[in-house]
Amino acid sequence: MTKKLIAALLIACLALLPVLPAEIRAEGTLNVMNYGEYIDEQVIRNFEKEFGVKINYALNDTPEAMYTKLQTGVSYDVVVTSDYMIDRLIKEKAVQPLDKGIVTNLDQLSDQVKNLYYDPDNTYSAPYLWQNVVLCYDTTKIDPAKVEELGWGILLDPALDGEVFIFDSPRDIFMMALKNLGYSMNTESRDELQAAFDWLVKMNQTIHPDFVGDEMIDGMAQGEKWLAMMYSGDAVYASMENEKLAVWAPLEGTNIAVDAMFIPSNAANAELANQFINYVLDYDNSMMITVETCYCSPNAKVCEDVTAEGGEFEGIEWYIPRAGYEKDEMYTDNDLLRTETPELLFKVKLQ
Amino acid sequence: MKKKKRKVSKFFTSGYLVLILLFIYLPIGYLVLFSFNDGKSMTNFSGFSLRWYENLFTKEYAMLESIWITLLVAVIATVVSTVVGTVAAIGLSKARRIVRTVVLEVNNLPVMNPDIVTAIGLMLLFISIKVQPSLVTLILSHISFCIPYVILTVMPKLRQLDDNVAEAALDLGATPMKALTKVIIPQIYPAILSGALIAFSMSLDDFVVSYFNAGVGINTISMYVYSMKRYNLSVNAMSSLIVATVTLVLVLVNLIPWIKDKKAQKEET
Repeated sequence: MTKKLIAALLIACLALLPVLPAEIRAEGTLNVMNYGEYIDEQVIRNFEKEFGVKINYALNDTPEAMYTKLQTGVSYDVVVTSDYMIDRLIKEKAVQPLDKGIVTNLDQLSDQVKNLYYDPDNTYSAPYLWQNVVLCYDTTKIDPAKVEELGWGILLDPALDGEVFIFDSPRDIFMMALKNLGYSMNTESRDELQAAFDWLVKMNQTIHPDFVGDEMIDGMAQGEKWLAMMYSGDAVYASMENEKLAVWAPLEGTNIAVDAMFIPSNAANAELANQFINYVLDYDNSMMITVETCYCSPNAKVCEDVTAEGGEFEGIEWYIPRAGYEKDEMYTDNDLLRTETPELLFKVKLQ
Repeated sequence: MKKKKRKVSKFFTSGYLVLILLFIYLPIGYLVLFSFNDGKSMTNFSGFSLRWYENLFTKEYAMLESIWITLLVAVIATVVSTVVGTVAAIGLSKARRIVRTVVLEVNNLPVMNPDIVTAIGLMLLFISIKVQPSLVTLILSHISFCIPYVILTVMPKLRQLDDNVAEAALDLGATPMKALTKVIIPQIYPAILSGALIAFSMSLDDFVVSYFNAGVGINTISMYVYSMKRYNLSVNAMSSLIVATVTLVLVLVNLIPWIKDKKAQKEET
């Protein structure tokens, strides 16, 4: 009896193998990949109800992890990721054009997030949320005038020793060093990279910052440190919790980071994917997403309404990131920085 | 069990045991405490509320789904790997010495291997035989890393068995199947149970193997928490519920035999 049962179980397992792909990719399903906790889940439920489909919602934590998942050959229909990664994927021809007959909500976008360098006519991608890298600081500990005057350079001030959080992301950390030195954040020069490295070593020895992840958001909200280098969406979230906090994007220039949606070239359900992208860009849905995440909506009307009187982000500085400032840049897919900065940052931390 | 406890506590009249228990339970207590936080903070308790539980059940659909997936995978993986592992162990105990030694050594490999190697290996295997990752590949990979643990826990118990008992059963007219189910399995039952428990907890704990082998949109709890862009306390609420469930199960497992004993004693008198 037991023997037969075991045999039956094993055979059932094996027999399931070949039929799997068909089984999980039933018609009317959409594979969406995004960062975790980066949407109001009600938007997904509503889309499922309205279109009578099922969404398989996959998660990743970095653009690099997303890239790896794309390489496994699984077909995703809509993916949200960062600008420089889309740049890379478009160059690799891994992205298919949007169907502009369906994605009509592109005309609701703010001008600042339209037609960006990696996708000049929004042929391949539609923005999802966007932000700056900024300094978030405690106004009772640091004089705002000083932050505004020194910019990134304030990180070399010995008075801040032990009082600083830095978001542990190689590209962002090198960005502020390069910017403070007056270089481009997309530099291809090894000398400039070396100078940035020396700058960071000096910074690390002067202020001994804590290189951390998302726990800094809560840390700043609780007033654990005086200053943090973080994303403006997170800074907005922290400053809504703690009114002593202020936000500043240094005048040496900072990064404009856009997370955008695209349809991979091997998408199984491109039409529905276009519908989904259009749905997310819609006023109501973009509103729900921005209220949930505190990152800035690409929808112009949403931005206007949430910052207007009575809006969710009324009076919150830097909810709308800085755009149009000549010294700000966006990351490009850059081989030198992609390969070198993680190792260099590791060396910085050892010094 | 009770006697043992008394002995142990005699040894540790100092606070040593208390310290160790604190070390183990403080993090869990901290996590449970903050699941009741009224604020959003992980470090600053600003008042009692059940809002994160409410949030978990009314808004965090994906997180709830991940609990069910984790449990489903763990239960199936435990059942299958326990059956397969036990059968394999019994077979091995009757096999020639050389076969047994070789198979047991091979069995140790996946246990010693870092998870990441197992994970990537399984992923590449599935890709090479053109099987798309899905819930089934996730379950299969969990089964594959659970089996060695079951074999490892059942094997020593089998060595202690007196071969004569099974032979006596056969002599007395039991079919081989009957001898297995009525004689061998009842004797090694505790080892099978602990093997199953280890398999269950290995499966619940796993992150790396799941991360590389789960299908689109199939997230276990650990995968879900790891990929969160911004932490929220519903994770604490979810974890607290799991802690409560596990505690309840453990209490029941220990209480039920005790109650049964009491009943039996009463009936005797």
